[in-house]
Amino acid sequence: MYDLTLYTQIVWTSLANSSYQVLFTVAFALVLKVLGVWNFAQPALMAASFYCMYAAIDTFGLPPLIAMGIALVFTGVFAYAIETYAFTALRNRNAGPIGFFIFTIVASQFVIYVLTLIFTAEPRFLLGNMTSALHIVFGVYVTSWDIAAIITTCILIAVLYFFLHYTRPGQFMIAVADNAELAETYGISKQRYYAMAMVIAGFLINTAIFLLGSKIAFYPELSLHMMLFAVAATIIGGIGNVFGAGIAAVVIVVMQQMSVLFIGSRWQPLFVFVILFATILFFPKGVRFRGS
Amino acid sequence: MEYAASIFILIGLFVILAASFNLILGYSGLMSIAHPIFFGLGAYTSSLSVMYFHIPVIAGILLGIIVAFLFSIALSLPALRISGDYLVIASMGFQLGVLQIIRNLDWTGGAGGVTGITPLFDEIARTSVLSYVALVFVAAAATVALVAWIVTGDYGKAIAAMRDDEDAFKALGRNAVTMKIVLFGIGSACAGFAGGLYAHYFLFISPDQFDLLYSAGILTMVVVGGMGTIMGPVVGAVLLQVMPQALSFLRLPAAITGPTQGIMFTGLVLIFLFLKPNGVLGKAPPRKTDDGDDDDLASVNTSPVVGKR
Amino acid sequence: MTPVLEIAGLRKQFGGIVVANDVNLAIKKDEVVGLIGPNGAGKTSLFNIVSGLIPHDAGTVILNGQPIERLSMHARARLGLTRTWQNIRLFPSLSVLDNLIVAPRYYPGESILRAAFSPGRLRDQRKKITERAYNQLEKVRLVDAATRFPTELSYGKQKLVSIARALMNDGDCLLLDEPIAGVEGAAYEALKNVIRSEAKLGRAICIVEHNISFVRDLCDRVLFMFNGKILNSGTMDELMARDDLAGLYFGSET
Repeated sequence: MYDLTLYTQIVWTSLANSSYQVLFTVAFALVLKVLGVWNFAQPALMAASFYCMYAAIDTFGLPPLIAMGIALVFTGVFAYAIETYAFTALRNRNAGPIGFFIFTIVASQFVIYVLTLIFTAEPRFLLGNMTSALHIVFGVYVTSWDIAAIITTCILIAVLYFFLHYTRPGQFMIAVADNAELAETYGISKQRYYAMAMVIAGFLINTAIFLLGSKIAFYPELSLHMMLFAVAATIIGGIGNVFGAGIAAVVIVVMQQMSVLFIGSRWQPLFVFVILFATILFFPKGVRFRGS
Repeated sequence: MEYAASIFILIGLFVILAASFNLILGYSGLMSIAHPIFFGLGAYTSSLSVMYFHIPVIAGILLGIIVAFLFSIALSLPALRISGDYLVIASMGFQLGVLQIIRNLDWTGGAGGVTGITPLFDEIARTSVLSYVALVFVAAAATVALVAWIVTGDYGKAIAAMRDDEDAFKALGRNAVTMKIVLFGIGSACAGFAGGLYAHYFLFISPDQFDLLYSAGILTMVVVGGMGTIMGPVVGAVLLQVMPQALSFLRLPAAITGPTQGIMFTGLVLIFLFLKPNGVLGKAPPRKTDDGDDDDLASVNTSPVVGKR
Repeated sequence: MTPVLEIAGLRKQFGGIVVANDVNLAIKKDEVVGLIGPNGAGKTSLFNIVSGLIPHDAGTVILNGQPIERLSMHARARLGLTRTWQNIRLFPSLSVLDNLIVAPRYYPGESILRAAFSPGRLRDQRKKITERAYNQLEKVRLVDAATRFPTELSYGKQKLVSIARALMNDGDCLLLDEPIAGVEGAAYEALKNVIRSEAKLGRAICIVEHNISFVRDLCDRVLFMFNGKILNSGTMDELMARDDLAGLYFGSET
């Protein structure tokens, strides 16, 4: 009854669906690595990004890619503002983890309320009723969305990898991540790289939201519920290991989809929670072994 | 009449939730968003155990407290062994995970919730309503008194030291992890108690009532009222009930009042966080007085006492 | 005589940096050992590993014959190992007296059950601890400061209080991290006397310091540490006479 085609289908579809999860996770992990902040304000960025695109398309009738571009700028600016005005202020007041915790969670909730007021809690598709072209390859359903999602994610991750490991700004960002005070003595402005990391995260989030919104219907609170996944994958990948987190995200999504073969579909969403708790209990430093 | 009673009861329950969360976050410095879940666990345990096992309501409420306490330890023990950061994440996972489980099981009533819960007082007479209000108020006062008792005196000194500088605290021989687990457990048990009281008055509970929204709400009550103070949560709880009531006089549609109330109270937290940080993040340390008998070097210009994070 | 503290083959690495490179060290009763070396040599890191703040990679730490390298920080303190911190780290929310009251090996107020069910016993125990706290304050001549708060005190006095706090542990092994850095005058002499008398009481003391005359006056033996390794040991004069060590110390300020 279970044949290769079915397995391939599940793997393919889950790989495609993991695309936006990878981007969300990498964004979250990057901010954690560079700023040392658990960015629970990411839902605010996610939701703001979506509704910016949505408004551009639905209210102003702009083509999707232009809308995405506008939202890209908007999300980047929003991310920049959070770091420069909020995080910096909290740091200057020695707010500590509790201050950041309160701010990020409440900021997300605040943005969600504002967006619920303006757009209501009704789930909305970004691209209306547009369905993506379907192809059948060796008996497996492949949509244009799948292909676009996977390619986009791979490109973005490759670019980020190249940036962090082979360019000067990227190297400086890693230096700030490892030891901000030491980096400052070498003349590297930690402020600048904090902001840069946030903006990069904003870009990743924006792209992921575009992919997500073109596939499923979004509502403001969804961003908050999706956060857990990014957090779990970040821990499993090993804190500080941005790309490990991305890999963990793919693995969890694929495993979660595969689990439908063994457990009822209504228990599937619980998969990530079980994984999270198992990780905390048995692999608190992450499943992937970190070099440093 | 009954409407006013409901408001008072909700205020009382919120006071319990805020005071117990203040013990967890404000005094012990534990970051967790799972407080509503212990409220929910108390409500569900109590109502379901009465429904299925026909035990008296009081026993149900007691069972709710115990279940909330045990679950909180199951959560905090593995997480705090590692670090406080892990508690945040574990609490998030726990909150969303437990709600997901409740929504998917039949015997919990699923997403629709539990109806027809046995009330604590049998008749819906005026006297029983007033008695319930009195009961909740006594419970609220008792919770505030319990927190006050814990945080003053010898145990309170330890808690304050732990919040100031946990590593220095541990290096003296204090078992900070155990203390945190105990405090988290007590706070969560109080939330479970409130859950039982809630279920057997309002007679209907559903998973939506214990969702992330309420995590932010409880956080708001504690933060706006004054974190790390004894009466702060009371102020916060009253404010959080009164404010939305004031708004409902405008008779706007629910789709507007809901988010607007949310905007108001989360906005308040943000304002307080940035404009009144000491009110939010703890009292400012006492000023440095000029010590005539001076031993310090002229070059020492920063206060070296506060431990590094 | 078995040493109070015995460290063998201790190793710790952070990424590419080896902060503890096969460290061997033994301190006996009544002994005051000095640990000197340039910044970044790994002296404070060694204290951090021995006290349990950071985990070790390899090696053993034995206190009074008992291996403690796998124990948590608080368990080690309860066995009689205390340390002070380079940046003092007193608790700003508590008065000076309270800072000491929460510091003995067993603090009865730590148990909420005891607070709930035997308040009488708790009160008696608290009285005894308060008495001891005043004794320690007397040693550092700061009894008057008991009700003050740490931030109200001068730097030197804060350092004295932090020593008094460490002494509440009444432990066999005391690790002092730069106890007199930034301290002058009366407090300097007071500190020296306290350390000397505590050593006479039978404690094993290890001091990290940069002040050469202080180390020479107090320490029976001095160890020179560089890049995570203990290069040499002897009296202060012997070490200072060696040009190579002096070169390492003064020549390579990170």
